[in-house]
Amino acid sequence: MGALFTDAFLTSLVLGALTAGLPLLLAGLGEQISEKAGVLNIGIEGMMLMGAYLGFVVAYTTGSVWLGFLGGAVGGMAVALPMVVLCIRLGLNQIVIGIALTLGTEGLTALLHHFQFAQSYPRLPAVPTLPIPGLSELPVIGPALFDRPAIVYLAILAVFVTAYVFRSTQLGLALQAAGDKPAALDAAGVDVVNVRSFAVFTTGALAGVGGAFMAEVGAGIFVPFMTNGAGFIGIVLAMQARGNPFWVLAGALLFGACLSATTALQVAGVSIPTDVIQMLPFAAVLLVLVLFGRRASLPAALGTHYVRGAR
Amino acid sequence: MRKMLLCGAALALLSVAGLAPSALRAADLTSIAILTPEAGTDYGWNQQGIDAAKAAGAAAGVKVVVADNLGYGDVRPTLREMAEDGAGLIIAHASGYNTAAPEIGEEMKVPVAIVDRPDAKKPGAVADYTASGHEGAYLAGRLAAKMSKTGTVGIVVSGEPPSWNAQSSAFAEGAKAEKPGIAVRYAVIGPAAYSDAAGGKRVTEALIAAGADIIFGQGNGSSFGMLQAVETNKSTGGGPVYFIDVIGDKTPIDKGNLLSSVVWNLEPVYAAMIKDVKAGSYGTHNYDINLKDGSVKLLKTKHIPDDVWAQMEALKADVISGKIKVEAHFDADSVHKLVTALPTAQ
Repeated sequence: MGALFTDAFLTSLVLGALTAGLPLLLAGLGEQISEKAGVLNIGIEGMMLMGAYLGFVVAYTTGSVWLGFLGGAVGGMAVALPMVVLCIRLGLNQIVIGIALTLGTEGLTALLHHFQFAQSYPRLPAVPTLPIPGLSELPVIGPALFDRPAIVYLAILAVFVTAYVFRSTQLGLALQAAGDKPAALDAAGVDVVNVRSFAVFTTGALAGVGGAFMAEVGAGIFVPFMTNGAGFIGIVLAMQARGNPFWVLAGALLFGACLSATTALQVAGVSIPTDVIQMLPFAAVLLVLVLFGRRASLPAALGTHYVRGAR
Repeated sequence: MRKMLLCGAALALLSVAGLAPSALRAADLTSIAILTPEAGTDYGWNQQGIDAAKAAGAAAGVKVVVADNLGYGDVRPTLREMAEDGAGLIIAHASGYNTAAPEIGEEMKVPVAIVDRPDAKKPGAVADYTASGHEGAYLAGRLAAKMSKTGTVGIVVSGEPPSWNAQSSAFAEGAKAEKPGIAVRYAVIGPAAYSDAAGGKRVTEALIAAGADIIFGQGNGSSFGMLQAVETNKSTGGGPVYFIDVIGDKTPIDKGNLLSSVVWNLEPVYAAMIKDVKAGSYGTHNYDINLKDGSVKLLKTKHIPDDVWAQMEALKADVISGKIKVEAHFDADSVHKLVTALPTAQ
């Protein structure tokens, strides 16, 4: 069996973990921002899917991966728009609208794909990588972690930026107040609706880029329903992260690592039923949730509509 | 005694009344319906089902109503709508529909066809077509072993439904029969990851890194991720990686890595169903596909040398004649045991 675990195989496993975890990271980070501002964004799966579709279409038609990621962000924000109008402005139920957006986006992207690509199934070329001098030559982890497309480094950077915004800026304070005590934020002269709208659009952009990453880097193709529940896993990661973006990063990488571990166990021919092996990522997330999420405190006004002057 | 006879007569009348709707429908079958989880343009499972239903319907003079891209959720409303629209047979073309379809079939008194539930067969009501191209998959395994340069082949599946288990085990048996020392790596993308193209690419790349230079892939939308992986990676030996598909023919979108496909043709299956519904014998037996009647075949591509193809034709004749016996193992355990029993290192 030792011959199986070559450098090439181990590298592919580490790379697989990163590639699988990154969309979850972006979705989880986006969800965390929405929840911080008091909006339970169940529609994140739809935002990812639209991001995947539009990201692929733009990258395919323009030949630019960066325009593709921009397209993904716009796609995610387009799905966020009804959430902003219907939930934050008009006060409709966030869970119902979120589910409707996801289902609607699944149907819409499948329909668009049917008319555009159902006969040709175009695939994108491999996305160029940006090797980090010195680190990219390390065995196994070098090519897997330090010779990746630049979007990977930007996604990791987004974690630090989000943590900084949460901890050290007026915007972070406004987001937290919009989720915990929106009336206090209002009294301080900040428009709660605008803060929440900003949060949901940011979520849409991040989730959209996550979806575009799946289509451009992860698969190199768009197929209907391809997000396969990643948005919902992002929601779980955000909830267990207790408002800390670094926990989202850890959770996303843990999930990705478990997915790679399941592949490794199967390829090695370990005699465990596949169903048990396939449970590993979900069991790991549940375990983390039980161990570390017990003290999770969600914003007091999460999921509620804010009406100025209402008691 | 008289009371018992009356009760018996009443029960007989009730059972006749219960069968009456399907019998009525059988007499005037003018329309059938097929439901698929993904678009009927996937060069695979969904397209094969829809194309075959249309062909069988056209041959029998029966209208075919298609509801595709329904996803893997609850399709009960669609099933009811199809029945209300007059479908005299509903083909529920996904293993995920095999609970809802018999329920709605019974409710609306319409016979249904399902997959992966051979035990659910019920006269006048339910028949299963857990079609397996295991005979073709055996040949694909022989072909893969002949063509592999690294001595390792891989199987990637996006789930473990019975028909795919049968093909996975037959592929591994074929590879082993051709080259006993060959390594067969096997991995499932995820639980029901049929549309997980990114997962398909990720797992396929892991198998390629583990030495596989021929990938036998079974997945709906996820198979495009597998195809992408073989197109964008070299084998550990530095040569190209080839892909063997199932069910459909992806030649029109091939970029040079499609070695073959275990192509299914479900038209004879659906034609037999229509015939049985009309004859009132539907649900008395299940349906299958095989090499002998041409409902399963191995796709010839330009990447297969003529001499190798001639050998494949000879092997095919041996399977048809019964000289080589290929049994279908529908359970996942059989696949795991078979793959685990193979060498784990070269």
